[in-house]
Parts: sequence; structure tokens; C-alpha cells
Amino acid sequence: MKRLAWRGDPKRELWLMWYATLIFYNVFTVVFFVLTRTQPPAPPWYDADQATAWFAHRHQGLLVGFALMFALGGLSMTSTALITYSIRRMSVSRAFAYSYLILYAVSAVPGLLLICLAMTVGAMRPDRDPAIQHWLYDFGFLSFSGTMGVFLVGSLIWMAAILLDKNRVLPRWFGYLNLCNALTEVVVSPAWILDRGAFSWNGTIAWWINVAVFGMYTGVFITLLRNMIIREDFGTGPLPDLPPRKPRQRAAAEVAEVAS
Amino acid sequence: MRRTTGETIIFWTLPAVAVIWVAAFFLFPGFLPPMSPRAPAAEVADFYLDHTARVRYSMILLNWFCVALVPILMLIVERMRDMTHRTPVLRYCMIGCAGAAPITFLTATVFWLLAAFRPDRSPDLTLLFNDLGWVTFTCGVPFLVAQSLFLALAIYLDEQEEPVFRRWVAHFNVLVAAALVPAGFAGLTLSGVLAWDGFLSFWVRNVAIAIWIVVMSVVLGRSLRRDSAAAEAAEAAEAAA
Repeated sequence: MKRLAWRGDPKRELWLMWYATLIFYNVFTVVFFVLTRTQPPAPPWYDADQATAWFAHRHQGLLVGFALMFALGGLSMTSTALITYSIRRMSVSRAFAYSYLILYAVSAVPGLLLICLAMTVGAMRPDRDPAIQHWLYDFGFLSFSGTMGVFLVGSLIWMAAILLDKNRVLPRWFGYLNLCNALTEVVVSPAWILDRGAFSWNGTIAWWINVAVFGMYTGVFITLLRNMIIREDFGTGPLPDLPPRKPRQRAAAEVAEVAS
Repeated sequence: MRRTTGETIIFWTLPAVAVIWVAAFFLFPGFLPPMSPRAPAAEVADFYLDHTARVRYSMILLNWFCVALVPILMLIVERMRDMTHRTPVLRYCMIGCAGAAPITFLTATVFWLLAAFRPDRSPDLTLLFNDLGWVTFTCGVPFLVAQSLFLALAIYLDEQEEPVFRRWVAHFNVLVAAALVPAGFAGLTLSGVLAWDGFLSFWVRNVAIAIWIVVMSVVLGRSLRRDSAAAEAAEAAEAAA
């Protein structure tokens, strides 16, 4: 029965994308914060010997963590696809949807793959010349934090689509939250210039505030995309509201009835 | 001119591109056998000094044509339109992967070409470019893995009597994805089956990519022919009416 219900569900593609997005962001968090400990980032003021010691100290974690990204990183396309779909569902030109798709597909290489490459190459030969390890260290952190334009323009495209949309696909306040996400890409730009202080790549503003905004933004859009899938009616007009939540007791009673 | 005529032209670029890839593969002196990740910096520097021209020519070829798979992938995306999907999300996933995967190969060629540009550079720097080239080339599989999985999923969800691609093509794509995954772990070791010159990371991975291109072009060609025949029949019916 379950199989039949799944086969008939017109939203199954959307749900698969949504669950894959959820899995991707969880793996991403574990890889960057736990396995490789590249987030929060190591200090930009480390000298060549300290950077070399940093690679040696994290040798196995870096290699295993980024290998997982090499294997599973392509799952990042699912959130891009789902967001592109959200824009297609809006009453705006498809140009917005396609722009978002291209910008975020392109972002995968400088924004994700380069740090995996630089850190893997650094970790695989800890006895390399410290000056070169230092360069790989900078390359890894700066390519990750400093890939800005695709996310900046991508967020603005999504924002403009949401604010112009008449189909109520996503709330207007989320449009403005996109602006906050876009601004994090502006705020991080001094990390290319300063190697210490609040605006350096691990600074209070360029990292801590930015990561809080990005984390909130990601959590919010994953929830809103879930609501969008629930509301989807496959029409072209305004999306209906979320169905009302059943009172808990009634829902529990229904479950008990079905079970008996 | 029918839509399918242009698609046929794109499709028949594939054999020419495949010949170029095979030529580049044999021309690059570091593939047969694959260069060892255990080679010391001096040996790697000597390799680029001894084979400067072949590295340059093969990588210029690959740089030109590694992205030539993009139009072919777009033909697959167009076939996906005929699948019984409710939404275009899987097509979007494929388009995203088709953008990112060839750029990864392109990046690898840039590192190899940099190593060969000044082969008299400090051996440590040549070793760095060589490592970057090999790790990018070998580990850069995330979008190829995802692409095969998205395509497999798309085929599984294409529930019609005459599916665009048969079910075995989906199973095949899952198998290819599984064959590509170990290459992502090539950074973990400098020797053994996982190393960039190892059985899994080099041979299994590259053979899987080659077989994928051959198999997918055969099934794509068949599907294009069917589509073309259907378009002709529709035109004939329209003319008769």
C-alpha cells in the first residue's frame, strides 16, 4: 500500500529533493565543523610554520572529511534545483529561475570544491615546504570565504523574484532575509585584505556574524521550501495556504482509530 | 528544419570528441602508467622537463574539449522532458551537474599546464601543481557521481509503457556512480588501490567514465531515432489532414 501511495504522489520528486537537501546540509556541517574543523576557520595570521603544523595536526580529519565532500558534494545541486523550482512557480520571468540555477551551479566549484582540493593537497604531504603549505592554507580558506559574487548576485536574484511574485510562493520577509544573506558577501570582502581583526576571515564580523546569518537563512529556507511543497497545487496561480494543523488530541485519536 | 535535426548534429559530434579524448589520454605521458603519488619532487620535476611538449599538447587538447560533453548532456536533459515527471527539478539537477563537472576537468588541465609552463621552476612548486592537477582530476567526481544518480532516479520515476530510457540504464547509472565514489577518497593514501594511481581511483574510475559515455551515447542515439521517427509521423499526419 505504501509503495502504491508513493508511486501516485505527484510531489515525490520535490520531496526527494528536499530530503536530499536536508542530508547535504547535515553532511556539510559535520564535515566542516566536526571532521575537518575548518569552521570556525583557523587564524589568518598564522605564519608558514604554524600553518604547516595545522595541516599536520589535522591530517586525517581533513582527508576523510573532504573525501566525503568529493563523494557527496554533488547533492548540493538538489537545493539549487528546488530553489530554482520555487522561482519557476512564481509569477516572474523564467530568467530569474535560470539565473539562479546557473549562478549556484557555478558556485559549487570555487565555493566548495577549491577548499576541498587545497586542504587535501596540503594534508596529503605534511612534510612539504612550509611556504607552499602556507599558500595552500590561504588558498583553502580564502576560496571558501572569499567566493562572493555568485552568492551575492544569486541571493539578490531570489530576493527580487520573491518581492515581485504575486503567487505568494515565499513570504516577503524572506525576500528581505535574502538581502541579509547577500550583505554577508559584502561584509566578508575585507577578508581578502586584512589578516587580523573583526573583518579577517575568522573575525567577529566576517565570520561569526556571517555564519549566524547564513545558518539562520539556511534553516529558514529549508523550512519554507518544505511548506512550499506541502502547499503546491501544480497550478499557475497563487499558492494556497498551509492546511490548518489538526488539534493534537484529534490527530492522536485518528491514529489510534486507524491502528485498531 | 526539425528540432531533432540540430540534436542529431550535436549527437554526431560525440565520436569526434571521443577520439580527441582518447588521443589526449594516450598523448599525456603521465597516464600509461599513471604517475606515482610517491614520486619525490625531483623525479616529478624531471618528468615535466623530459615530457614538456607532450604534457602541453595533450592538456591543451583536453582543455579545449573536456567541456564538449556539455551539449551531449543537454541532449539527455532534453530527453528527460519526455519522461513522466511532474516537475523539472531533476532536469535542473542535471543542468547544474553538467555545468560543474566539466569545469572540474578544465581546472585539472590548468594545473598540469602550469606545471609544464616553466618546467625549470623549483621542483617543490612543480610537485605542488602536479598534486593539484592529479587530485583535481581524480577526486573531482562529486558532480559526476550526482549526475549518474540524478539520471538513474529520473529513469526510475519515468513510469510509462515506452519509457525514454529502459530501466537497466538506471541500474547502470547507479553502478557507475558506485564505481566513481572511491576516487573521491584518493587523497587518503599515496599507495594502494585508493591512491590516485591505484586500481579503484584510476582504472575503475576512468573505465567507468569511458563505459558511461559509450553506453549513454548508444541509448541516447536510439532514443533520438525514436523521437525523430515520431516527429516524422506527426508531420506526415499533419500533412495528410
